Amino acid sequence: MIYTGSRIIFFLRPLLIALLLVGVFGLVYLRSSVMTLEYSLGDLEKTRRNYLRERKMLLAEKTSLLSFERVEASLSRSRGFVLPARIRVIHVKNRKETLPYNASLERKLTEP
Amino acid sequence: MNKKRAIILNTTIIFSFFVVFLRLTDLMILNHKSLSERAKLQHVKVEDIRVRRGIIFDRQGREFALNIELESLYCDPEILDLNNDGLKRLASVIAKEPMFILSKIHNGGRFVWVERKLEPDTVEKIKGLNIKGLGFLTEAKRFYPKGKLASHILGFVGIDNQALEGVELKYDRYMKTSGGKIFLERDAIGRTLSSGVDTEARGNNVVLTIDEGLQHIVEKEIDKAMEQWKAAAASVIMMDPFTGKILALSNRPTYDPNNAGNARNPEKRNRAITDCYEPGSTFKIIVGTAALEERLVNPGTLFDVSKGSVEVGGKAIRDIHKHGVLNFKEVIQKSSNVGSVTIGLKLGKDRIYKYAKLFGVGEKTGIDLPGEVSGWISRPERWSGTSIGAISIGQEVAVTPLQILRAYSAIANGGFLVRPHVVSEVISPEGRVLASFRDEEMNRIISEKTAGTFKNILKGVVEEGGTGSSASVDGNEVAGKTGTAQVINPETKRYSREKFVSSFVGFVPADNPRLAIIVVIYEPKGQIYGGVVAAPVFRDIANQALSYLDIPLDSIPYNDHLLVSR
Repeated sequence: MIYTGSRIIFFLRPLLIALLLVGVFGLVYLRSSVMTLEYSLGDLEKTRRNYLRERKMLLAEKTSLLSFERVEASLSRSRGFVLPARIRVIHVKNRKETLPYNASLERKLTEP
Repeated sequence: MNKKRAIILNTTIIFSFFVVFLRLTDLMILNHKSLSERAKLQHVKVEDIRVRRGIIFDRQGREFALNIELESLYCDPEILDLNNDGLKRLASVIAKEPMFILSKIHNGGRFVWVERKLEPDTVEKIKGLNIKGLGFLTEAKRFYPKGKLASHILGFVGIDNQALEGVELKYDRYMKTSGGKIFLERDAIGRTLSSGVDTEARGNNVVLTIDEGLQHIVEKEIDKAMEQWKAAAASVIMMDPFTGKILALSNRPTYDPNNAGNARNPEKRNRAITDCYEPGSTFKIIVGTAALEERLVNPGTLFDVSKGSVEVGGKAIRDIHKHGVLNFKEVIQKSSNVGSVTIGLKLGKDRIYKYAKLFGVGEKTGIDLPGEVSGWISRPERWSGTSIGAISIGQEVAVTPLQILRAYSAIANGGFLVRPHVVSEVISPEGRVLASFRDEEMNRIISEKTAGTFKNILKGVVEEGGTGSSASVDGNEVAGKTGTAQVINPETKRYSREKFVSSFVGFVPADNPRLAIIVVIYEPKGQIYGGVVAAPVFRDIANQALSYLDIPLDSIPYNDHLLVSR
């Protein structure tokens, strides 16, 4: 019995030491991985901030370019667009019941 | 011997542990506070949460005011390495005098702003100079992408984004937000670790009742009028007569809110609500509706104005053109001063005052913009002998263009006094509605019958033979009134013979009003009459606005149509 116990201890001791070392290295590795991830996240946050900043600038530029004044000036100058006299324009509203498809179908059905 | 060695070894070990214990006590107990603070300074970076004002949208969701981020240049004078050549180059890049930069640097301290909110290409140029001791910090800048458009409504902010005018000021408590600080971990070489929190705080957004399309139409036409009449100033307001929603509001002279610091005070003034003028004939609706409401007259009541003048308190009030016998409708249609004074005399001063007050004269409209004035009408007991005649034709009273527009809106909507407003909703950055406009103050001031009768009379003003015929719009009936008022010369305290205020106020389509518009042109040159100067501006604005809003024609007078589907 004594012999067997000593043998177990003989094998267990290095195993425990190895486990302890692996554990310690594991902890260090995990901690360093977390730190690396935090660095990456920090970099990504910085990139995100830069993109958001650029987005804001682009939005401002887009809004400025889409202003009525610019669009009207650009269309009338370069494309020769002119607004027609209101009195000569009839607006045809888009209504489901008067869609051409329905009308043609009805005509087909009633055709002799 | 071994025992002696053991004792020495033990003593050394115990002593060593004792020394370590003492040091630990020093580090962890005695100097803990100061040391931990020093450690924190080394590995923790404190950053301000970036505070961004809410965005201002028009009623269709188009951005009128937003934030962009620009770099601001600062320097640390203690480590600044700036020679003469570098100073000159820096000064030329930021377009300032070298002395200006030196004066800032010598102000003292370790942090000095050199120039705030620089354009990105300027920043690149400065970085290219490689001057030690200069640095950049990102700051938010308020940007108004439409430039001068609606500048008197939007207002502007200062260099530190503090609200100074307009909606920016009135709704500041909603749009601004509080910041705070966040703590970021950093390593030995200054790299920061993720904080995991949002480093930007956004204020609530504001939705205006203004429509960019309508505002553009108004601004385009007001510019044309200013050019044509070489006027000193002008104001135009467009409002929904049923709800009080301001759809467009513009003044001239104006300014660009992106460069508000360079604008002069007269340019920044929102004349539509801060400047009073004598309304002249547009005020005749007060006397007219009062007489109808009090059943003193009906549209057919006849007035003999053939003498061309009437004497009140020893002072003669004249018509511009002599008329014969006019009925009540024609008195308004032809804007007869003699007829209006006769009606005013029938009413008496108490009733004129009562109805002026009912229509909101001498009271603020309550519009949600800063700086509104109440206008002025004195109490009847303080009126002089001539006052009843003068007030009947719109003199001796001071009103803002908005007050007159509100009074005409009451005719348009069947007798209710609306509360004008420019903001419809305040919404959180996540899109939740935090506040919306509710009008609990709308009250009836005249009967529906009186409003209807007077509406028909106002239609006559714009018909052939009326003073406002040049305000008529093809395809839709217009109801309105012209006004021509003399300006008081501040030096002589008498009415000027050269300076006038020409105005036209009306609504369209007359029977189903969608737009109430007032046009006020201050000191036009060449012509003075509201029917000649202001009425065509009303027509041009109304024409385009009706088209923009897809408001159908009342009648189709021509046969040669273009067919456009939409």
